[in-house]
Amino acid sequence: MKKQGRGIATIMFGFGYGEGFPDHAIASAEIEEGGKILIRTAAADVGQGVLTIITQIAAEVLKVKPEAIRIIPGDTHLTKNSGSSSATRQTFFTGNAVKEASEGLLSNIYHYASIEFRSNHVELGIKDGYIFRNDNPKNKLSYWELAERVKERGDSLKAEASFFPRTDIPDPKTGQGKKVYVAYTFVTQVIEVEVDTDTGIVEVLNVYTAADIGKAINPKNVEGQIEGGTVQGIGMALMEEQVIKEGITLNPDLTSYLIPTSMDTPHFATLLVENEDSEGPFGAKGIGEPATIATTPAIANAIYDAIGVRIYHLPITPEKILKALKEENKRGNKEGF
Amino acid sequence: MTERYVGRNVYKVDAQDKVMGKAKYPDDIYFDNMLYLKIKRATHPHAHLRRIDISKAVKLPGVVKIITADDIPQVKNFGLIIKDQPVLVGIGQKMRYMGDALAIVIAETKEIASKAVRLIEVEVEELEVISDPLRAMEKDAPLIHKDGNILATHYLEKGDIKKGFAEANVIVENEYRTTFLDQVPLQVEAGVGIYDEESGFIKLWVASQWLHDTQADVAQSLGFPKEKIRIIQPVIGGAFGKKEDISVHIHLALAAIATKRPVKLTYTREESMIAQSKRHPFIIRVKTGATKEGYLTAWQAEVIGDTGAYASSGPAVVHKGMYHCTGPYNVDNVKGVAYTVYTNNTYAGAMRGFGTTQMAFAYESQMDILAHKLGIDPAQFRLQNAYNIGSSTPNGQILTHSVGVKETIKKAAEIAGWKGGLR
Repeated sequence: MKKQGRGIATIMFGFGYGEGFPDHAIASAEIEEGGKILIRTAAADVGQGVLTIITQIAAEVLKVKPEAIRIIPGDTHLTKNSGSSSATRQTFFTGNAVKEASEGLLSNIYHYASIEFRSNHVELGIKDGYIFRNDNPKNKLSYWELAERVKERGDSLKAEASFFPRTDIPDPKTGQGKKVYVAYTFVTQVIEVEVDTDTGIVEVLNVYTAADIGKAINPKNVEGQIEGGTVQGIGMALMEEQVIKEGITLNPDLTSYLIPTSMDTPHFATLLVENEDSEGPFGAKGIGEPATIATTPAIANAIYDAIGVRIYHLPITPEKILKALKEENKRGNKEGF
Repeated sequence: MTERYVGRNVYKVDAQDKVMGKAKYPDDIYFDNMLYLKIKRATHPHAHLRRIDISKAVKLPGVVKIITADDIPQVKNFGLIIKDQPVLVGIGQKMRYMGDALAIVIAETKEIASKAVRLIEVEVEELEVISDPLRAMEKDAPLIHKDGNILATHYLEKGDIKKGFAEANVIVENEYRTTFLDQVPLQVEAGVGIYDEESGFIKLWVASQWLHDTQADVAQSLGFPKEKIRIIQPVIGGAFGKKEDISVHIHLALAAIATKRPVKLTYTREESMIAQSKRHPFIIRVKTGATKEGYLTAWQAEVIGDTGAYASSGPAVVHKGMYHCTGPYNVDNVKGVAYTVYTNNTYAGAMRGFGTTQMAFAYESQMDILAHKLGIDPAQFRLQNAYNIGSSTPNGQILTHSVGVKETIKKAAEIAGWKGGLR
């Protein structure tokens, strides 16, 4: 018999390394020849989209099209430390460093342009990479022309910045600390499943997600993270297990270690809670890891809702479900503990 | 103020190259005259290496060189937090899991290198294999590393746990278990290395989640100044925590130095799963108390995390899980202990959620069980216990801003059409 159920899970994730670790990111922005603005960062784009996020932030601050932004490929000798692409930290850390470096560059553009135009700052306007006096917008200088003039003065148009928030080392005896993590991301998922009580197979039907991410720099990208993270969570909940017996992995391949495929992907509805009240760039918080965390418990709770048995050892395989149902029938209908 | 690019669905800047097949992943990088590496790995999960015989393998036509620990006495252990992982296991030393490297085979082709690996003969003295962290914690268990099998112990204590349970009308106590998971990025560990004799520079093209940290670990292991190790980031085909640790880096550097030729090493999927980091399996024993009105009063958690043969991120992962033990709920009285334990399993490190993913399975199951026991709608139960501005986390951190958790419960319930009458 097929039985449907629905489960909910709400999670938190303290992001950044925290715990007093000297976690920081350095970035720089400079006007380069060929009509581009060069951003230097070592932030690794593992597919999560940090290079896109940085491009949007720099374009926003510097008032140019995203196409004008060039990010140097990661290289220990051409970039400074941006910290790791982990701990859900790059949008927050490198995003802030790039925002501040871009603001530094913009300030210098104003500074040198005010010399060129013999004006004060409030009389200057900026649009799409050009700077001009508001009373004569036709007489404009591109950032790149301005950079040439600055070069003639023996200087250059660039700025470097870093983001280095303080956190506290928790007390070793109690784990207590004033600021252990820079901030928390929160996610709630409601997940609907269908359990086949004859085969024990669980199908995940619908996933409803609301995520408090402060502000989405790129909403589509956040949704992508949530969908990918959820599918990874479906794997953890229902099928994935590297079986290691006496130190030997019994299933070191993808025919016997199962991961979800597109056929296992449910329907998604996602809503972003954006209060823009975090210390991240434009109020953003990270979503990378929180995207996967609520899924497994929401599925476990949905299975309980569907068939009245609870599985305490992951993954919740068909075999475990059938065994639990069998025991449940013997015992009568009580919560499984 | 309206933003023009922030908050907009700008196309991913790397999408076009990836879709068009132009993106260069590590395994796409070729140099003329390039050699290929394969690694001879441990033959037993816990054993002393007594003899390694490369004589047959080295005679195979096309084999250029085979490096064993005897050739690199100056090279030091590596590791993200604790330098406990050997680059190559030497005679008299221990192999601690099936991924430990015993020899680097360098050959003209991958096929020859693979064949040569199979010709290497190894003799070992077997030790007890510890696959269960509970066995590892027993007093008579053999030591995997000399300082003991419990690598780290962390504590959590807030309020008065006894008082908290005394105030509870309902107490729920359970044990949860999670398993080893692989991050399964599409791209397995791979890279290319070059040694420039004149400048003394090593150049590595290896995907890495943290370039400058990896650079430092490679440099200290080889005894090179940091600036002589240059790591260039190719396009990364997924990571999820698996590309935080050293994988091919040091082996590539050693082979490049030994041969003065470009070298490449790409793991097989099997090798990636056996040799490279896993999600920690957790044993979580948890006890939670609530009043009959449905307010949490006490939360106690004991966590045992199997970190496998080497520390990797383990000392940070397991206690981060514990630090999240209550979920986003107000609990005045919290107590916890977390043990990070060595075994002879594949080492566990970083994976999306870093210990808190395992913990959420426990705390959100507990919340559901309590809601059912109390006869309160599970969404409502969460909502009435969830953090506000001013709430205190298990670490006693007071949340001063950006606490949208209640709104996520309300909104998720709303879009799902949850019928529970949220207040």
